[in-house]
Amino acid sequence: MIYRLDAVGKVYPSRRGGVTSLAGVGFDIAKGERVAVIGPSGAGKTTLFRLLNGTLRPSSGTLRFHNEDVAAFSPRQARAMRRRIGTIHQQSLLVPSLTVLENTLCGALGAWSLLHAVRTAFSPAGADTQRAMAALAQVGLVDKRDARADELSGGQQQRVAIARLVMQAPEVILADEPFAALDPALTDAIAQLLLGLAGTGRTLVCTLHDVERALALFPRVIGLRGGRVAFDMPSNAISQGMLDELYRGAPGEPADAAPSPSAREPAVAF
Amino acid sequence: MSPPSRSRFRRANVVGFAVAAVIASARVAEVRLSALLDPDSHQKVGAFVHGLFPPDLSLSFLRVAALAAARTVSIAVVGTVLSIAVALPLGILATATLFRRGPLFESEPRTPGGMLLSSLSALARALLGLLRAVPDLVWALFFVVGVGLGPVAGVLALAVSYGGVLGRVFADLFEDVDLRPLEALHATGATRLQIFLFAIWPQARPSAVAYTLYSFECCVRAAAVLGLVGAGGIGYEIALSMRNFDYGEIVPLVGALLVLVWLTDACSAALRRVMRANAPPGLLGHEHLRQGLPRRASRAIVLGAVAAIVLACTAGVGFFDRDAFDTSTVSRMAHFARGLFPPDLTPAFLRTVLEPVVRTLGISVIGTLLGVVIGALLGIPATAAHAEDDPSRGVAWLVRLALRRLCRIALSLLRAIPEVLWVLVFILAVGLGPFAGALALGVHTGGVLGKLYADTFEEVSPLPLRGLRATGATPLQILLWGAWPEARRMLISYTMLRWEMNLRTSTVVGIAGGGGIGIALYNTMQLGFYPQMATLTLTVYLLVAATGWIGDAIRRSFAPASHNVRRGRRRPRPTTRRPRESANR
Repeated sequence: MIYRLDAVGKVYPSRRGGVTSLAGVGFDIAKGERVAVIGPSGAGKTTLFRLLNGTLRPSSGTLRFHNEDVAAFSPRQARAMRRRIGTIHQQSLLVPSLTVLENTLCGALGAWSLLHAVRTAFSPAGADTQRAMAALAQVGLVDKRDARADELSGGQQQRVAIARLVMQAPEVILADEPFAALDPALTDAIAQLLLGLAGTGRTLVCTLHDVERALALFPRVIGLRGGRVAFDMPSNAISQGMLDELYRGAPGEPADAAPSPSAREPAVAF
Repeated sequence: MSPPSRSRFRRANVVGFAVAAVIASARVAEVRLSALLDPDSHQKVGAFVHGLFPPDLSLSFLRVAALAAARTVSIAVVGTVLSIAVALPLGILATATLFRRGPLFESEPRTPGGMLLSSLSALARALLGLLRAVPDLVWALFFVVGVGLGPVAGVLALAVSYGGVLGRVFADLFEDVDLRPLEALHATGATRLQIFLFAIWPQARPSAVAYTLYSFECCVRAAAVLGLVGAGGIGYEIALSMRNFDYGEIVPLVGALLVLVWLTDACSAALRRVMRANAPPGLLGHEHLRQGLPRRASRAIVLGAVAAIVLACTAGVGFFDRDAFDTSTVSRMAHFARGLFPPDLTPAFLRTVLEPVVRTLGISVIGTLLGVVIGALLGIPATAAHAEDDPSRGVAWLVRLALRRLCRIALSLLRAIPEVLWVLVFILAVGLGPFAGALALGVHTGGVLGKLYADTFEEVSPLPLRGLRATGATPLQILLWGAWPEARRMLISYTMLRWEMNLRTSTVVGIAGGGGIGIALYNTMQLGFYPQMATLTLTVYLLVAATGWIGDAIRRSFAPASHNVRRGRRRPRPTTRRPRESANR
């Protein structure tokens, strides 16, 4: 089991006692699974995502990664965990003043000693460069290797972020709204890239706004609402009624029109 | 009370307070206008000016001057290199976004080791503040006692004081980068130093390089001055000539200093262009380089040249001499350091500290005020904006243009000669004491502020001015109604910055005989009263810290929404242009 969540809760501190983002979330994710997480804005998708990638700690419950409790990790262990998890964000978070090649090399930082990193900053070793070039070939950006990251278009930047992921060679891929900033044509291309990467025995967890795509591409879908798991089942078992319920207006407010599974962007109530 | 009358009331308060402060400062700085009109002092200054000519241009003395200049450069180069060695580790450690707050810190588990690291980081920041606040000349005094007279003391003083300045700037730059790439690399499992190397440094590099080069320019000027307390180089030669009344030697020495400063500025400007230090991200600042030599080869050549120069300078300064760091030096330094503790905090001594502190404050206020007057008198004619696009191109226009050049030259001369040298001249005129210090400070500050005033006026958008000209306004009216309201905020903030710096400098000017806390510090050092010396140094630190705080408060009240003077940040950010740090010269 890669992930095992047991009654995980997350409360952000605030002036009035704290804001509950997740409460009593529990599920397992096995090796090689492809899971989509959907739900309205504010449902806790991003919090869940940050818990899974080890940059946030649960305030209650236990989150196990490879059967080890994440809360007990030392900084070194936490770093080792992050190294095994590759992350794709909504906008690619490249270092703007580095070249495409250098940004790709960054993916392997976790596997390097500081000395190796210093050396790479001045002149990367041939083997590393070759691996990075192979990663760039996979996303079709070999000819852009010397371009600066901030010269690229949004779709190209997202592809460099994926090349960095390839360089990192993680066992889990987490993607947080990877298509939110892309147009439909690019979305298909990037989705193919991500699924292709995941096809080689890696686990893929993806938060999505796009219900249709989630149902079409992912065998398992988790619906989050108000910080709780609303449903967690195979995508072909999910009915329109369940989706209506998931995207209904906030409790106590008049219900909004629920999107049909074919709507590209779900209407979001808040 | 209605808002307008309240603000008028407040303004009256501020003006009243300012006038009272100036009068009080004039008293403690012993301003005696009669001394300036006294025929006796005229005669002394006349004798000095007369003595300057003919300058001693004999070959043997020119060689002395050239050697002194080379030594000054060597001190500056080695001092800069060491200051980077101090600044970089402390600056990284002091970077809050790596160790104390922000997403990186919050996602790490709270461990005792992490807590220790974040308190070390806060400590590093405080240490940088201390290194920065104590003036370089005071550090030089410390090292002269510690390692003895000579260039090594000067180098160490530069390393420590400019290490503090640079380290703080580095930390600020490192904190200001885009944080999102940091999070992305953090998520790949990179360590904090790796994150620094691959996400912070690439983003901060252009500004960091620009500031380091600028700091080198400052080091050259400072190295010349440090000579006055015995660190060797041009300053030492000038002090020697003054003391021996060989005024004929002054002209070539000051000339060598001016050439040196000018050459340094030109070199660092060229280097900055080559390294594209100011290229804003995304504007392909690197494009040019790539077309030239292959990247790795050109980098190796530059690195090799820099290493050779640094090595030569280090040898020239005498770092490799066998007696530079023998065991007796170390034990002497340890003895001196032990002597500083505990500082003398007895009430009796603290009472005697009060008078020089007040006097130093007075010197800084009068000096800055004088600087504002001189700066305005020379800076306004030096502004090109209202001279350049005069359609008539008549005689009046030509006169204005000539006047502008003349004023610019005068300003750069005032600015190029350090305060400490001006003191030596003014001591001749009005005798030892705070008045000489205030005059010296004022003349130099006038040169700096005049240039800044003129530059600021020239940067005001020309369109409103053109509109005013179309209504038939005279140049002075255009300045008053068009440029002043636009530039006011900048002018005030530059002036306040300069006052803060003058407070620091007025302690330094005191060391050269300008009175105030500097002379007290010098005396305690000469007499070997080390605990008292420590107390005085702490006082300087507190004074400078307090001024920084007051200066910030005043700037805030004048410019509440100003974008370029941020709270707690003493230095304007360098952006795409050369750092606007000429304020510090």
